[in-house]
Amino acid sequence: MTGYVVRRVLWGVLLLILVSALTFVLFRILPTADPARLRAGPNAGPRVIAEIRANLGLNKPLLTQFWLYMKGLFLHFDLGYSYYSGASVKSLVFDRLPATLSLTIGSAIIWMAIGLPIGILSALRRRSRTDRGAMGAALLFISAPEYWLGLIVLYLFAADIGQIKVFPGAGSYTGLTADPQKWVTSLILPWLVLAAGFAAVYARLMRGSLIETMGEDYIRTARAKGLPERRVVLHHGVRAAITPILTIFALDVGVLLGGAVLIETVFDIPGIGRLNYAAITHADFPIIQGTVLLAALFIVVANILVDIAYAYLDPRVRYS
Amino acid sequence: MFDSISRSASLALVGGVGAALTLGLSACGSSGGSVSGSSGTGAPAGVLTPVNESLTGGARGGTLTVLNHQDFEHLDPGQAYSSVDYEAVYATQRPLYSYEPNTFAAPIPDLASAPPEISSDHKTVTVHIRSGVHFSPPVNREVTSADVAYAIERGANANVANPYFATYFASLQGAQQALKTGNGGAIPGIVTPDPHTIVFHLEEPKGQILASALVLPLSAPVPAEFARKYDAHKPTEYGNYLVATGPYMFKSNGEGKVLGIGYEPGKSATLVRNPNWRAATDHRPAYLNQVDIRIGADPNVIGRQVLEGSHLVQNDTPAQAIVQLAYEQHRSQLEISPGAGTNYIAVNNHKGPFANVNTRKAFWAALNRVAMNKARGGELVTNVMTHFIYPEIPGFEQAGGLKGPRVDYNEHPQGDAQIAEKYMRLAGYPSGKYTGGATLQVVGATGSPEAPDAEIVNQTLKNLGFKTKFSLVDKSVMYSKFCGTPAEEIDVCPNVGWAADFGDPQGVLDVTFNGKHIEPTGNNNWGQVNDPTINRKMEAAELLVGSQARAAAWAAIDRELVAQAAAIPFAFDKEPNIEAHDVAGVGDVWNIGSWDYSYTSLK
Repeated sequence: MTGYVVRRVLWGVLLLILVSALTFVLFRILPTADPARLRAGPNAGPRVIAEIRANLGLNKPLLTQFWLYMKGLFLHFDLGYSYYSGASVKSLVFDRLPATLSLTIGSAIIWMAIGLPIGILSALRRRSRTDRGAMGAALLFISAPEYWLGLIVLYLFAADIGQIKVFPGAGSYTGLTADPQKWVTSLILPWLVLAAGFAAVYARLMRGSLIETMGEDYIRTARAKGLPERRVVLHHGVRAAITPILTIFALDVGVLLGGAVLIETVFDIPGIGRLNYAAITHADFPIIQGTVLLAALFIVVANILVDIAYAYLDPRVRYS
Repeated sequence: MFDSISRSASLALVGGVGAALTLGLSACGSSGGSVSGSSGTGAPAGVLTPVNESLTGGARGGTLTVLNHQDFEHLDPGQAYSSVDYEAVYATQRPLYSYEPNTFAAPIPDLASAPPEISSDHKTVTVHIRSGVHFSPPVNREVTSADVAYAIERGANANVANPYFATYFASLQGAQQALKTGNGGAIPGIVTPDPHTIVFHLEEPKGQILASALVLPLSAPVPAEFARKYDAHKPTEYGNYLVATGPYMFKSNGEGKVLGIGYEPGKSATLVRNPNWRAATDHRPAYLNQVDIRIGADPNVIGRQVLEGSHLVQNDTPAQAIVQLAYEQHRSQLEISPGAGTNYIAVNNHKGPFANVNTRKAFWAALNRVAMNKARGGELVTNVMTHFIYPEIPGFEQAGGLKGPRVDYNEHPQGDAQIAEKYMRLAGYPSGKYTGGATLQVVGATGSPEAPDAEIVNQTLKNLGFKTKFSLVDKSVMYSKFCGTPAEEIDVCPNVGWAADFGDPQGVLDVTFNGKHIEPTGNNNWGQVNDPTINRKMEAAELLVGSQARAAAWAAIDRELVAQAAAIPFAFDKEPNIEAHDVAGVGDVWNIGSWDYSYTSLK
């Protein structure tokens, strides 16, 4: 097991290097905006643009730029400095991370807490009214774009612009350490909106996976042995059915930790997603690179954790 | 400068999110379509306009909260160059001259104590500086002419790379050398005979244009002993360690550090009162105690928060759905500013079918400019553009006003196929349609309203018989890779536009239509207009002194550009801004109507 984990970590590091290289190449080769031109402003002449290009080190050969970047990154964990504000990318990313962590972890707990029980219930009461109602509602939430849902929810329930003024609205995000109570209340709407679509997807996944599992021979054997139905479902059925869902969960959480752009924008939460989005619009490459790397790191780590969890959840899985 | 265009560009970049969210809000109840009922260049009844907002009598005190989708680009007065930047820079810095909010034509002394003195040969400009103006902490001392000299000299510093130094200050004696060395050293043409006098000696008789450019933030004083160590960085870090001379300053620590304290990129900025500012030395009333700026939220949500909230303004362009909502339900909270720039179609005057003046006129005649403007929000936020000097810039009326020059291809803003055919025949196509073999390269911008405008342009070209290769790319890519690079030989750029750096018609026409400014990259003369007669007239007009004479000369050039159909104009921009019901906002005509924190107050 230890050997397996070490191998996965090493592969993860290699993957991060490849992601860095790929981001760098894509940014330079595709017809993206010229950062020097953007920074100079549209009326600036070629001389000014050339000066800014030199200031930002963009006039150096591509390989040199890449080498300097990778050297800084892997030897000094230096993600560079924003082309615009001159702020350290590392400090910007770590400044934004708590908001994104808060949003992602909170909504992940909600969607798992809602989606899985509904999925289990639907699987066990297949074709019942409960099943049809739950899956119909799931379809509705899957179809509702989260930005639209976010606006509707704000328009209905936000304390400032809502029709029924219940929850703090956009721009109310407060850090956990600053005020825990405000932290919770400011995130209730974003958590629910972000969780809605995921909960619906996970309910459908859980339902499908559990229906398939409950048809397996070992379930029949468990029942034939006289085990209580509750134990058959939870211990033998759900435990096996949940493993593919965990893989998707890890990916989803990893992606969201890289930034939930729409939710962060609609609810004015200063997270990684918004940082990344603003960087893309300004061709602020060091920030783009930093946030992409962070997202890749989260996905890699989440996948390793899930692989480890597999071994404990499913007795058929053993790493050697 | 490019204020409005920068704002539009930024919104276009967020088109993916913004457009989607606009749809979302439309579903919440606001009706679609454009607003009609306004006329003229100003605002319709009941809507505010910075042209006539009261500049006096505001209530003192309070904190204004500003909600911006867009972040600042540069806070350093030597680098700032967008309307959002200017909102903060002009509240915290005092250039030699500035405009009162309701004019873009008559600058008044700001740090200067009197109008500039231009010598009879137009080669020397003398400015006297006010006593009693002090820098904010930690510098604290009185401002002298040496601080203004350093501020301008650092514009030539490669680490600062001021975007307009080469355009307006390059005629200073020694400026070319300063640009070449790029080290920000002294420029011989800037002399400070005493602490309250600065003299500019020029190589050429361009005193008027230099004097006009002293309203730009580059002329705001910078203390060398404080800034020099930051200017040594590549690029300069002075923007992260600012000192102020205006009524407000960015919140900072004891060392003047702003980054992470008074400005958190992408999150917030805080302006507090400058304790060393003296009201007796300034035309700004500075009613507010503090300005809290929140950055990054969605424009639709911001718009609703402002319209329904308290002590709030939005300071970047509101979403179209919000403008509509404000117009219908909160009209007294909507401000419409005229003179927010131009939008036109650049056509390749140098090569291809549009090198022929009659083909250009045919295109102009055929284009439905009303439809294009509807995509931008209709009459409330645009006027059909009929020539190139835009409202509020001296020379606008002389050049034809709103109606524009009386030429047949300009007479029918909805487009006129018969007139178009007439000019196509004059261009050598007897059928009235293009029958040549060329395929036009048309490169427009993604997002709204640029993409719908570009689609209309493309369809118009097809109706004229052209085959087109039509591409939509990000607006910044459109400028940097295609329309601003003559070697790409783009025939039609449907989404270009311009706004002047200061209220002088030269700033509108020179860089964009003078053949001498065609550059291999970063070119702003997108149509590669290079008419020797027009170039000569521009050279002569550049040297004129006096607002009237300059307005008349540049208006004549504007009419010549129309006669040559050098580009196809379609929209004079008006800029919408919104405020909460309890804010007495004052917008700046000279900064496309953006709220002026130094004049705005709370009710």
